[in-house]
Amino acid sequence: MKDEPSERLDPRARTLWRIVGALNALPLLAGGAAGSWALLRLADVSFLVGVLPAVAAVALLLLMVVVTPTLRWRRWRYEIREDEVDLQRGILWVARTLVPLARIQHVDTRSGPLQRRFGLATVVFYTAAGANQIPELSAPVAAGVRDRIAALTRFQDEL
Amino acid sequence: MNSEAGPPSGDPGESSGGTPEGDSVDKPSRRLHPAAMLIGALRTVRRWVGALVIPGGAFLASQGFGVRTIILALAGVIVVAALAAVWGFLSWRATTYVVSGGAFHLRQGVVQKSERTIPLDHVQSVDTVQGIIQRLFGVVEVRVETAGGGGNDPDASLSALSRDAAGTLRREIESSRREPSGKEEEEIGPDIVRKLTTRELLIAGATSGQIGVALSLVAVVSQLFDEFFSEAFVERVVTSFAPRSITAVLLIVAALGLFAWLLAIAGTVLAHAGFTLARDGDYLYIRRGLLERREATIPLSRIQAVRIVEGALRQPFGLAALRVESAGYGENAGVSTVLFPLLPRREVDEFLRAAAPEFAGEPSLERLPSRALRRYVFRAILSAVPLMVVVAAVAVFGQYAGLPVPGCGAGGCGFGTVSLFAFEVPLGALLAPLLFVPAGFYGWIQFRDVGWMLSGGRLFARSRVLARTTTVAPRRRLQSRSIVSSPFQRRLRLATLQARVASGGGGAEVQVVDIGSDAARSLVERLGPGYHTA
Repeated sequence: MKDEPSERLDPRARTLWRIVGALNALPLLAGGAAGSWALLRLADVSFLVGVLPAVAAVALLLLMVVVTPTLRWRRWRYEIREDEVDLQRGILWVARTLVPLARIQHVDTRSGPLQRRFGLATVVFYTAAGANQIPELSAPVAAGVRDRIAALTRFQDEL
Repeated sequence: MNSEAGPPSGDPGESSGGTPEGDSVDKPSRRLHPAAMLIGALRTVRRWVGALVIPGGAFLASQGFGVRTIILALAGVIVVAALAAVWGFLSWRATTYVVSGGAFHLRQGVVQKSERTIPLDHVQSVDTVQGIIQRLFGVVEVRVETAGGGGNDPDASLSALSRDAAGTLRREIESSRREPSGKEEEEIGPDIVRKLTTRELLIAGATSGQIGVALSLVAVVSQLFDEFFSEAFVERVVTSFAPRSITAVLLIVAALGLFAWLLAIAGTVLAHAGFTLARDGDYLYIRRGLLERREATIPLSRIQAVRIVEGALRQPFGLAALRVESAGYGENAGVSTVLFPLLPRREVDEFLRAAAPEFAGEPSLERLPSRALRRYVFRAILSAVPLMVVVAAVAVFGQYAGLPVPGCGAGGCGFGTVSLFAFEVPLGALLAPLLFVPAGFYGWIQFRDVGWMLSGGRLFARSRVLARTTTVAPRRRLQSRSIVSSPFQRRLRLATLQARVASGGGGAEVQVVDIGSDAARSLVERLGPGYHTA
């Protein structure tokens, strides 16, 4: 088994994940601000204690916007080999998954509105035991990967 | 396709129907057994009752129960029954089925006509179920299940067919899938592999998965004995009546536990009475059930994995149950099916050799590296923490509420408090951390039971979550393999190996937790398609 699959995701994935992370963090930020406001205004606590919720929310936001996308992108790799699809992902819990092409039933590409703005797409392939995906490839690469998987699947014999 | 098969009016038999012309259908469409009318009517009534019973009841209550309202209610009931009967007749008349042109066709619907076509290649199994109404008429419900397709997609169901018609249908569907060997089998065709005896049935019920119930029963009984024999208790019996009420409560709890246990036995008896596994070539046939008799077919080619489950209550007696993970099989997606509810562990291999030879064999398993032990012990202790908190909380609460709380287990060391930093702390709270010991021991047992092996092109993986489960999955059935590792595992050069097989609508997982990372990599490689066994 190779040490790592060879291909990376599109670099624009990081920017997309940062935006998504920021959007996801918005309610968190609002909650932190509200908590701080409530503590400072309504409860009689010192300023340092009062700002804690807001500070925690900002720290989480930074984590979700700055740190996670970079780490995630650095780890994510894939490779379409002759007989298998090889995936590696995960920040702390690293998962390496191998899916034999002979097991793949069908394969799609899909892209949401944000992904389309960045010209990115996700390849999803299905086996009888569930789906796996390769996210955030540039649209032409995703189409190529999809067609390659579909073509290779056709030539696979049963083991 | 024509939307309607010409009904021969006045003939209630299920044998003949109209012959649609102009397409490949060359056999006559068939009707269900007339009992389907009653079943359809009852189903309609059941649906209506659910919708009407509350408003109807409210209406009656608001009117008061005079003669007029009762007559009104009766009239309502009669109208509903009559409508249901008419509906049952119409839907019986509209339902026809035929096997032709390599597909099973089912036409249904009184108002909205529908025709479902299932190519015979996609038919997963033809099951028969006999509910109580069906038993009264000596008919069976036939369910045609398809592979994959998702669990909520309702496959074709024929609510009433005579035994002969069901057998004919099953043969028609299955004959397309197997080579037409000259052996035309009738009902006696399959060879019986094993039959569950009444004694085994009762043991299976008594040691069934209702382990929580059984355990709570044991806990209650042991506590009762504690109460009974502790010196303090005897003292209190002499001095006051209050403890007697505690005994009464405990007795009631014990009775409830016993009752639940009996219910569990009854449930097993109902579901598994007369469990018979038969095999005919590439098909397994399961027949079971006391009131509702079920027959199921499992094509051997669809079995993805076999699990040998040794329940915590069964393992000491050398007993095990067998389950199969079968692609798209069963009424609910993702549910594995019982292959056989109870048999001696040492006969499992022989049984599998007869029933599903691809899964037989008992290679000696590779063990985990010893550095994995501490992770197993740690996890077990971690999962016992909530229990410890509960025990301590109960002890403290009990202390301050003035209730006697047992301080320790079967030793009967009575109740008491010790002073700790000027607090009176009940002994029970201090003893709670002692739960670490059994928890750690459980972790060690889990570690000891884990094993894996690749033998004869099959992955064997054994693990324990109360029950010790050995899973056998052929390499060519694995849909994907993963190695997952947490930072802690990486530091110890360990990983978790996961392999997925198809089962029902989703899939099922086989995993080996904390296998050495090198072993995991080589195993994943050897399980892959590029690797050819020498």
